[in-house]
Amino acid sequence: VTAAVVDHQRAGIRALGARVGLLGGLAIALAVSLVLAAGHGQLDIPPSEVLGSLLHKLGLDLGPVPSHPQGESTLWQVRFPRVVMAALAGAALATAGALMQGVFGNPLAEPGVVGVSAGAAVAAATAIVFELTFAGTWTVALCAFVGGLVTTMLVYFMSRDGGRTEVVTLVLTGIAVNAVAGAALAFLMFLGDTQAREEIVFWQLGSLNGSRWEQVVVVLPMVAVGIGAALVLAPKLDLLALGDRAARHVGVDVERLRMSVIVVVALLTAAAVAFCGIISFVGLVVPHLIRLLAGPGHRLLVPASALGGAVLLVLADLWARTLVAYADLPIGMLTALVGGPFFFWLIRRARRTSGGWA
Amino acid sequence: MGGGVSRALLVCVLWGVLSACGLSAGGAPGDETSQASASDVGESPALADVAPLDDVRDWEGEVTAYADTPVDPVAEDPEPELPVTVTDAQGTKVTVEDTSRVLALDVYGTLSRTVYELGLGDRLVGRDISTDLPEAADLPLVTQNGHELNAEAILGLDPTVLITDTSLGPWDAVLQVRDAGIPVVVVDSHRGLDNVGDLIHDVADALGVPAQGDALAQRTQRQVDDVTSQIAEVAPADEGQRLRTVFLYVRGQSGVYYMFGEGSGADSLIDAIGAYDVAEEIGWNGMKPLTDEGLIAAQPDLVLMMTGGLESAGGVDGLLERLPALAETPAGQHRRFVAMEDSQILGFGPVTASVLEALAVATYAPAALTGGEG
Repeated sequence: VTAAVVDHQRAGIRALGARVGLLGGLAIALAVSLVLAAGHGQLDIPPSEVLGSLLHKLGLDLGPVPSHPQGESTLWQVRFPRVVMAALAGAALATAGALMQGVFGNPLAEPGVVGVSAGAAVAAATAIVFELTFAGTWTVALCAFVGGLVTTMLVYFMSRDGGRTEVVTLVLTGIAVNAVAGAALAFLMFLGDTQAREEIVFWQLGSLNGSRWEQVVVVLPMVAVGIGAALVLAPKLDLLALGDRAARHVGVDVERLRMSVIVVVALLTAAAVAFCGIISFVGLVVPHLIRLLAGPGHRLLVPASALGGAVLLVLADLWARTLVAYADLPIGMLTALVGGPFFFWLIRRARRTSGGWA
Repeated sequence: MGGGVSRALLVCVLWGVLSACGLSAGGAPGDETSQASASDVGESPALADVAPLDDVRDWEGEVTAYADTPVDPVAEDPEPELPVTVTDAQGTKVTVEDTSRVLALDVYGTLSRTVYELGLGDRLVGRDISTDLPEAADLPLVTQNGHELNAEAILGLDPTVLITDTSLGPWDAVLQVRDAGIPVVVVDSHRGLDNVGDLIHDVADALGVPAQGDALAQRTQRQVDDVTSQIAEVAPADEGQRLRTVFLYVRGQSGVYYMFGEGSGADSLIDAIGAYDVAEEIGWNGMKPLTDEGLIAAQPDLVLMMTGGLESAGGVDGLLERLPALAETPAGQHRRFVAMEDSQILGFGPVTASVLEALAVATYAPAALTGGEG
């Protein structure tokens, strides 16, 4: 008996070690990618000057300040908000993906694939076309949240049957939702004036170009609340993985849990979509990579996905904005380029493991 | 944004979308292909020197109009009176203290052209893709990816003032430049005969050279008046006899056909060359996709196009093949197409008169451009 307890304790310590190791590793990766991203851009500012500028802002009189006449303002008004926005959007999307896969019990659930991003975009585009400003700078984000919430619920109820969501039903529901949302966006483009049309086009491609502090201030609290709630819900999602009945037996209010997760997913998706447009597949690729490394437990999956998503999008955006001089590649295009084949691989795998289209 | 503010935007959006999809074979204005074709043509006879057609409808074949417009500044390196405070088109009060490093960006290259004509061309530190003057060839291209702006690239040029309109985006990138403390003067993005002078004044005032602005606006108006009166002599006096004309915006071979109507600039262009504006007749506003039947119903005698657009559609043959409705119109039957450089045809600004003259020659004396009888 004592040996078993010791073994159990050892396993616990090992799990804790793995947890700390993975999260620590990802945190370091995020720190490194943030520094890397902050130090590179269209305007050439050496990393030492970037560091110097940061330290000076913190009140430490260390290191060189940017020598380019617009270096300081470029860093603080253009590059830093953009890097922060990339980290926030990546964390939000990856966390939303991990949560959705948990609550749908389906490896292919992802805000972009099932149409939640598109739903949020439709609502946000509506705000733009009809020039709604009832909540100031928050209007677009608020509309995106409502649109995302409605779409998530719609997808959830339409694709569930007998307590579970089949892969094929979910994917087909996603196709239908994306089609309707695409039509709505097209209609809004038809209605809108040229300025609104331009904004909608930029959105569909997804871009972090033009991120400003004003927007970060809106997105940051949404992502913070969303990830916080996701961390609280994560242990219950592990119980839900046992099946609804088993989860109920150990005291989980299954329906309430599902609804809470849906609200959180909508909040996180809206945070990312509101100003950055549709950036798909981040919520698919990141949680799956984390699962490969750390297994399916949500306690670890949720925070690791948040960190991993931030790393991925910060690096992808670094690539998008530095590859071509004076130009920005649409980041939604980049993530889809990588995520599309990954999605295909997941479908093949899901089909194999479930022994058919289940 | 008001209705009149951003008509040029659609063009920008279309270019953006199509280049992103890789469909834009002919590319944006000023790209390699259209530049090559422009230099091939290379001559622009004066309207006074050519023999107009006896019957304006008696012509077969497409013509490329080319306005040869070398920079001719109204002043040599004028000394700006600074600082200057202006209220821009959006009502923002902007104070410009230094005009040593200027950026003037818009979708048609009109603003940078105006800076050159004001005599301040050597102060420009970057250009948009439509500014294809030899003088500007060495300037870094700020709008490389179609018509998208990148604030970091703009700030990297260390401009002391940015003059732009709402035709380039994302708008947040312009705001970022303003956040960084650079004075940003936003002018009206409408281009047409009605605001050529206003636009010149806006640019000149923002750069502290109002006197040169007056001189340039007056010179431009004088030239336009001169050309318009010459056109009046060759264009049919009777409105019923005038050529029914449409402006078609075509990109690629996948069925993007827009007709430019009221407020797009094409309307004032068609009026100014003494043609009959079909879009006005049917109440066509702005820039909208055209249906085949609508095109047949319009029965144009003449189609105005952008050179790059026509090339991207595979020339007149490609266009007629892909748009059979066009073949059912007099313009299609007689291949009556007049194409002009993308960056010139709707740009207006200080070169308006040359553009009108070149279009009038191509319309009323096409033999002068093709070197033979039709």
